[in-house]
Amino acid sequence: MKKLTAIVVVVLALCVQAMAEVDLVTLPSREGVQLTIYNSADLTLVRDVRNLTLKEGINRLSFSWANTLIDPTSLDLRALKNEADVDLLGVSYPPRLQQIAVWDVQSRIAGEVPVEITFFTSGISWRAFYMATLSPDEATMLLKGYVRVTNNSGEDYEKAQTRLIVGKINLLDEIAMLSQRYPPYGSPADGGYGGGAERDDNTVGGKRRELMKKAKGAMDMPAAAPAPTMVADSMERPKEIKKEGLAEYFIYTIEGTETIPNTWSKRLPSFDQGDIPVENLYKYDENRWGNEVIRFLYFKNDKKHKLGETPLPDGLVKVYRTADEAGGLSYEGACDTKYIPVDQKAELDLGPARQVSVEPKLMAVKKENFTYDNDKNIDGWDDIETWQIEVKNQRPVAARLEITMHLRHQHCDVKNEGDCGEYKKDDLVTTKYTLNLEPRSARKFGYTLTYREGRRQQ
Amino acid sequence: MIRKRILLSAIALFCATAAYRAEARIKLVALPPRQTTVVRLDNPQFTLVEEERALALQKGENQVDFSWKGVSIDPDSIRLRILGHEKEVRLISVSYPPGEAALVWQIYSDIAVEEPVRISYLLSNIDRLVTYKAVAEQDESKMDLSSYLILRNFSGEDFENAKVLLDYGQAYDRSIDHEETKQLLFFTARGLPIEKTFTWDSETMPWDPDKTAQNVGIPVYYAIENSAKNPDLGKNALWGGKARVYQKDTQGSTIFAGEDNAAYTPVGEKVKLYIGQSRDVVVTRKKMRENQIEVKRNKQNQVIMYDTDELVEIEIENFKDKPAVLVLTEHIPEQGPFAATRYGRGEPVCQWDMEECSHKYEVKDAGTLEFRIELTPRSKQKLVMHYHRRNLR
Amino acid sequence: MMTRKFLALVAVLLSAAGVTFAEVDLVTLPTRQGVQLTIYNSADLTLVRDTRNLTLKTGANRLSFSWANTLIDPTSLDLRALQNAADVDLLDVSYPPRLQQIAIWNVMSRIAGEVPTEITFFTSGISWRSFYMATLSPDEAKMRLQGYVRVTNNSGEDYENAQTRLIVGKINILDQIAMLSQRYPPYGQPGLVPPGEAMPAVAERKQALRRAKDEIAEAEGVVMAQKAAMPSKPKQIIKEGLSEYFIYTIEGTETIPNTWSKRLPSFQQDEIPIENLFKYDENRWGNSVVRFLFFKNDKDHKLGETPLPDGMVKVFRTVDEAGGLSYEGACDTKYIPVDQKAELCLGNATNVSVEPKLMAYKLDNFTYNNDRNIDGWDEIQTWQIEVKNQRDVNARIEILRHFKHQHWDIERDQTVEFAKDDLDTVKFTLVMPPHSAKKFGYTVTFREGRRQAQ
Repeated sequence: MKKLTAIVVVVLALCVQAMAEVDLVTLPSREGVQLTIYNSADLTLVRDVRNLTLKEGINRLSFSWANTLIDPTSLDLRALKNEADVDLLGVSYPPRLQQIAVWDVQSRIAGEVPVEITFFTSGISWRAFYMATLSPDEATMLLKGYVRVTNNSGEDYEKAQTRLIVGKINLLDEIAMLSQRYPPYGSPADGGYGGGAERDDNTVGGKRRELMKKAKGAMDMPAAAPAPTMVADSMERPKEIKKEGLAEYFIYTIEGTETIPNTWSKRLPSFDQGDIPVENLYKYDENRWGNEVIRFLYFKNDKKHKLGETPLPDGLVKVYRTADEAGGLSYEGACDTKYIPVDQKAELDLGPARQVSVEPKLMAVKKENFTYDNDKNIDGWDDIETWQIEVKNQRPVAARLEITMHLRHQHCDVKNEGDCGEYKKDDLVTTKYTLNLEPRSARKFGYTLTYREGRRQQ
Repeated sequence: MIRKRILLSAIALFCATAAYRAEARIKLVALPPRQTTVVRLDNPQFTLVEEERALALQKGENQVDFSWKGVSIDPDSIRLRILGHEKEVRLISVSYPPGEAALVWQIYSDIAVEEPVRISYLLSNIDRLVTYKAVAEQDESKMDLSSYLILRNFSGEDFENAKVLLDYGQAYDRSIDHEETKQLLFFTARGLPIEKTFTWDSETMPWDPDKTAQNVGIPVYYAIENSAKNPDLGKNALWGGKARVYQKDTQGSTIFAGEDNAAYTPVGEKVKLYIGQSRDVVVTRKKMRENQIEVKRNKQNQVIMYDTDELVEIEIENFKDKPAVLVLTEHIPEQGPFAATRYGRGEPVCQWDMEECSHKYEVKDAGTLEFRIELTPRSKQKLVMHYHRRNLR
Repeated sequence: MMTRKFLALVAVLLSAAGVTFAEVDLVTLPTRQGVQLTIYNSADLTLVRDTRNLTLKTGANRLSFSWANTLIDPTSLDLRALQNAADVDLLDVSYPPRLQQIAIWNVMSRIAGEVPTEITFFTSGISWRSFYMATLSPDEAKMRLQGYVRVTNNSGEDYENAQTRLIVGKINILDQIAMLSQRYPPYGQPGLVPPGEAMPAVAERKQALRRAKDEIAEAEGVVMAQKAAMPSKPKQIIKEGLSEYFIYTIEGTETIPNTWSKRLPSFQQDEIPIENLFKYDENRWGNSVVRFLFFKNDKDHKLGETPLPDGMVKVFRTVDEAGGLSYEGACDTKYIPVDQKAELCLGNATNVSVEPKLMAYKLDNFTYNNDRNIDGWDEIQTWQIEVKNQRDVNARIEILRHFKHQHWDIERDQTVEFAKDDLDTVKFTLVMPPHSAKKFGYTVTFREGRRQAQ
């Protein structure tokens, strides 16, 4: 593997004007790093701590990031100590040089000053995924959550404190695009930065800066900047992932630090909860799935279901079933879940069910109650439809079945016959029947729909 | 010719802080062999493989390398379960090296131990088909049904003495190599009663076979019930698959009687197999009358609604020496502007009343009638339906 | 004609010890003891039953079966012991990796010694068809009917001394056997095109080639002589029904080498009474009269023992006392079940004619709506039909007339047989003596508009 990187901070001698002639004064190494990784966008906020040796007066700092995916417009620098004595005068992106920025720093003290460099990078991502294992009777499940972090940013971030953000953030530009753009803010000739000449805070650029400030602010709150000296990775037990909510976001902080070299990825366990009560829920809705019955696993992200402490990030759930006493597994299917907030229900879609079936049949039609206008033309009548629904559960476990039926318009009376379970009108033109089916059972029920047509609707 | 593509090696790291990198990764230090392998073929889309191996773990931090070059494994599906010392041995994290079909488990062990673990993963390109072979008696009253499993392994991996499991039935201990196909007998059920039917549907069959250049074959079906009435069936659903039907002949041999795809058949349902066509049963349908009656008019004397008076005659001839059961399906569709406004499933239907019918029928739905007609040997009969469709316009 | 001997079915017993079969020992190569072919005509399919004596040892036996250059469907392979069946179990069949046209049976035997076994499989490339020659008597009142079958082998394998059975009937087939015989791996591969999709180009080309060869052989009139001693009389074909099928079993055995074909007489029946039937139906044949030979496959017609398979009938007529023949025409017949009528279509008739003419037309019985607009009427058509038989023999003539809708009444000449065929079709039937002509008429009244609903 080739070492790509990467990020180099150099303190330059002040007097020199042209970049080509700079003296290398110091090359401070990284003291600590914190990654805040988003999953809704290709965006990671990097907080990089270095000890700079400053002299009194103007210091020039060169920051270069060849072969990485850093957004130059997001670069920021602040002193962590003696903040009042160190001022950032300006940043310049030197002409004809790419992936380099030069900070002019005015210091009123000489000596070592810890500074924090923050920037956005693309190329680091994380996603959540799950493994659910049903008990043999399918009444409970073991749910294991994982996160997988992948680093393709071009930079090795060693021993980084790693935080994962769940939530949808608004971004105007792709960080990956910004990292490749030269000059960093575009040039006036090609329309400028963010698409306009105006630069006040109502412009896109202004809004973007505002957003970035907000995002950074949000991230600042739970944990301050990483400690310059890191505790060595503890390896004796799986790391805990701390979860906390903040504004619209949820932050997962991985205990200790992680090293994920460039192009590697890593899977970490996020949580592990056994004995979650689940329900086998089957749904039938011709508008959504045609004639197929779709199987769902139903539970709620709440205390009753031994969850409810944090939202569950969106991700793929693979569902297994314990198939034998030795703990042998059987694969049931997989589905992508949406983000599930606390107390919200979760329905894992396991695809078409082969052993639960619903067969509606129109058994008879009739027209009645004709009305006539003055010319003796028909201007109203009733359409009466008699339906029969045959429901089968051929599985050895109980099933809850939700049948959604669609009426062709709202002028309709519904009369149910037989054991139709729990009936409910879902909206003007939708009816819903919820049935609890015993293992290996069949049932028939019926209903008569009387549609009033034409003048009969008045 | 045994190929091993899935490799497992354990690397003991004594320096807990050593951050290793791809180029430094050591492979194949130890290759703990598979002790048992279970291939579970119960999901039609994915095959779950579970294998047990013993890892020689050092006290402290261990890195175990698992790679599957040339084999299609879903990496997120890989799970490692510690079977012996669950407290002392802990999986810390899983790393995926770049550009390789591999992962590295970081395992911390409080003790030096030979630890049994179970590794499970979803493997692609290995599956099973099911086929059936039925042998019917000469008189078509009963059949013996054999079901075969076809294991197809194109996963890239050879399996030696794997335990092949399905969603029911016994386990098979078999070796199956990459690119090998293997056929096994799954079960045999004997003496299953056959229900043989001839079918004719007025929607799909020609009405007057005399006016066609080719013979009009009447589809012939065998049905057997997947129920406990048959001692060897009725416990589990039958999987779908190709079924080839043979029939015993008078010469102590068999003929091939046709093939069909058996549908997935839950307990209590019937497997229906389309065998072939009979040219010895001939059905000719004729419409003899269709008049408007009960005509209602508006003030302009225009027809606004009417009923019909319809007569259909169906002649059924059996040229065989044997009796037969014909399942005949008739349709009474709606026509006209009312039909266009109807919403929902199936064909447009209308209200109808049967005035007179020569044969018994079952109403399958609002527009479909099913007749079950017993045909005696070498006989001819006529089905006459006289009905009214109501409130048409 | 040259025959090339293809490498054919080889059954080899392998030593059970060899795990990978590159190392196997060849133990015995049993020869074929007998073979039975059951050939279908509705699909390119033949069921082969191949009997061999295998020398088994106690314990596991491996048996390799290969069929290079033949058209065998590997998924149809089966093996069973004909004796001691309880002591010989087929454990599994393996189609080894990267090898084509080979299967290995794992057989567990509880006995040692020679065991007769039966190997069955499907092959494509063997076909049969039936055809007929009909010879009419000079007065066209009777005919002699001769049936033949023709068997063609393009399967790649010589089947010597095979018991040959022909199946009449339409079986349901999901996949072409020719496609299955070319597919590798035998059951396809997971994740790829499901089994039984399009036929590969190779198989298709082979089939086309075979068809072409078949036609050439037909043109040359190649009829293969028996390899065995010439029998003193033609072989009997035994016919029996089974389910929806009819089995024709050819007496004794037949040898039909690969690429050869053979014609065998199936039956001959003299003095079958027939009728000359002429049909006129404008919907089907325009203004032409079409000639049919009418008979029934029943006892009255000296037939009725077996159904007649579909095939081409060539019709001749005896024209002089020396038995000289004239060719009357040919037609493809449908399969004719026992007791069913047969109508051999001989094409347009030149000396029987039917000419309908519209003689009068009027509208009547108008009805009016409230606005005094016409909303109903009757349309009255008067037709005359002139029929001529210029032949030397009697002719039965069926005339179908189609009406524009079902609201009609008819007044007709009572001397002509009349029937309502369905709601808008009527049929007139006449028997015309030789060299005669006849005119008859009818008047049809169509009710239009409101007149239909009264």
